[in-house]
Amino acid sequence: MSLVLKNISLPLAPFTLEVEVEIHGRVTAIFGPSGSGKTSLLELVAGLRRAKSAFIQLGDRVLTDTAEGVFVPVRQRGIGYVPQELALFPHLSVRQNLLYGNRSGRETSHLFTFERVTEVLEIQPLIQRGVTELSGGEKQRVALARALLASPRLLLLDEPLASLDAKLKMRIIPYFARIRDEFRVPMLYVTHDRFETLALADEMVVLVSGKIAQTGSVREVFSRPANLAVAGLLTVETIQPGRIVQTADGLVSVAVGSTMLTAMAHSLSPDTGEVYVCIRAEDVILLAKGNSPTSARNQLPALVLSVTPEGPHMRAELDCGFTLAALLTKQACEELALKPGHPVVALVKAPHIHLIAR
Amino acid sequence: MTAAERHIVAFTVEMAVLSTALILPVGVALAWCLARLRWRGKALVETFVALPLVLPPVVTGLVLLKLFGRRGPVGHWLYSEFHFDVVFTWRAVTLALAVMSFPLLVWTARSAIEEVNPALEQIARTLGAGEWRVFFTITLPLAKRGILAGIVLAFARALGEFGATIMVAGNIPGVTTTLSTDIYQLVQVGEDSQAWTLVGISLTLAFAAVWLNLRLMQRGKR
Repeated sequence: MSLVLKNISLPLAPFTLEVEVEIHGRVTAIFGPSGSGKTSLLELVAGLRRAKSAFIQLGDRVLTDTAEGVFVPVRQRGIGYVPQELALFPHLSVRQNLLYGNRSGRETSHLFTFERVTEVLEIQPLIQRGVTELSGGEKQRVALARALLASPRLLLLDEPLASLDAKLKMRIIPYFARIRDEFRVPMLYVTHDRFETLALADEMVVLVSGKIAQTGSVREVFSRPANLAVAGLLTVETIQPGRIVQTADGLVSVAVGSTMLTAMAHSLSPDTGEVYVCIRAEDVILLAKGNSPTSARNQLPALVLSVTPEGPHMRAELDCGFTLAALLTKQACEELALKPGHPVVALVKAPHIHLIAR
Repeated sequence: MTAAERHIVAFTVEMAVLSTALILPVGVALAWCLARLRWRGKALVETFVALPLVLPPVVTGLVLLKLFGRRGPVGHWLYSEFHFDVVFTWRAVTLALAVMSFPLLVWTARSAIEEVNPALEQIARTLGAGEWRVFFTITLPLAKRGILAGIVLAFARALGEFGATIMVAGNIPGVTTTLSTDIYQLVQVGEDSQAWTLVGISLTLAFAAVWLNLRLMQRGKR
């Protein structure tokens, strides 16, 4: 199923949202910084907001065409929407929330049965509860299940994990992956998180100040950002493909090229082999070349490739078998006398290495 | 309490219940329109609805008398079409109570509806619900407490109405006499002790209504 967005023009406070794109991905990440118009775009597709000019077509059905005066009402679009605030109905039980969209006489697909959806999202134990008794992660799953049970042709997810802490995020991501793989509903997934994008999306649309900065497969966009704005959004962290070599005592050994790294195993399913290794630049500590013992599991001899100022910090690009970015203070940079070609040791604690199954 | 007193209390409560029941659907519908829609003339309607709150009740009563009298535009039409009179009958009592308590219901219900998160209604629409279903399954249940508080407030206001009632319905014993018009009448003719019984009843009813209203508002906030 394809989603065609043409001639979209919606004036927002600091800019006008102008979009022209055709989306075919199973999961398409709408990626961009806060306030770039991502949510407004979703609302246009859902029909919750009207644009001055817009043409929106899902599959063979035109949903909005301002030129022809076509506007399919929200309830007839068959588009599931999970907003950032989730919007569970507080006066209804979990069961009533789940069934709300299931009785509107719409053609229901055998795929989205109550049993199957609650099973895949593991919410059977929650069904009898009140919505206010749920934890953040449980609410997230219930909101997702409620949208699915209305048998949507397209699912819109607005920063679904933004309100969850990092640990919980890692636990919820696999549920989205299951939805993607088992129910095959196309999804538009709004996020400003590279992690979620890498873990879930196959295509991405990068939105900056209401304009599309780049579209393409996730791999393509990440490896070849179209311009400085996109690169700025994406290259905050080190991302390298890696392979799991060994798992023991809750630790995994990951090979990135010829370099071996140690990371925590908890966020991975046991049969994962191929991963993306993600390291945030601020989690990298640099030592002058030498042999002092530290508690950090990863001590990587490296050569400095470049040192560039970034805001109040300095960004050092290192070669330790792969390219690793480190963010440090100007003072630290001076004390270590970092210069291109200079040998250092990069330290990264195992919990700071994030692995994403690929 | 004498039989006459009981009759007056029952009649007053009846009229207050009837007037509140009459304004309920209209009031809640108007409250919804004010809370959720943007339309031309909204400010004008808002002002118009609030007028009975600030006008002297006798003025409101006089306007009603002129409108609903047999020679008034509405009254004339009602008489020629349906052959009944409004003024100086129990219908006029209901009318006066309804008009006077209407703004209280609309204002309270409106703010209750405004407090319902519109995102919940939006999501209900994405789940396939039409406007009626959204209203009855989302908006109304979530605004229920506030609307109930508005009903109690309107009912309490109706119980104590005097100025408009006496203008449009008069004070005809056994026909249009309510608690407050009777108290006024008794004091006029120097029957203070009888008046005090009715004052006590009024006080009790008002106290119960206001207390219930406050409790509903409090629980509504949670």
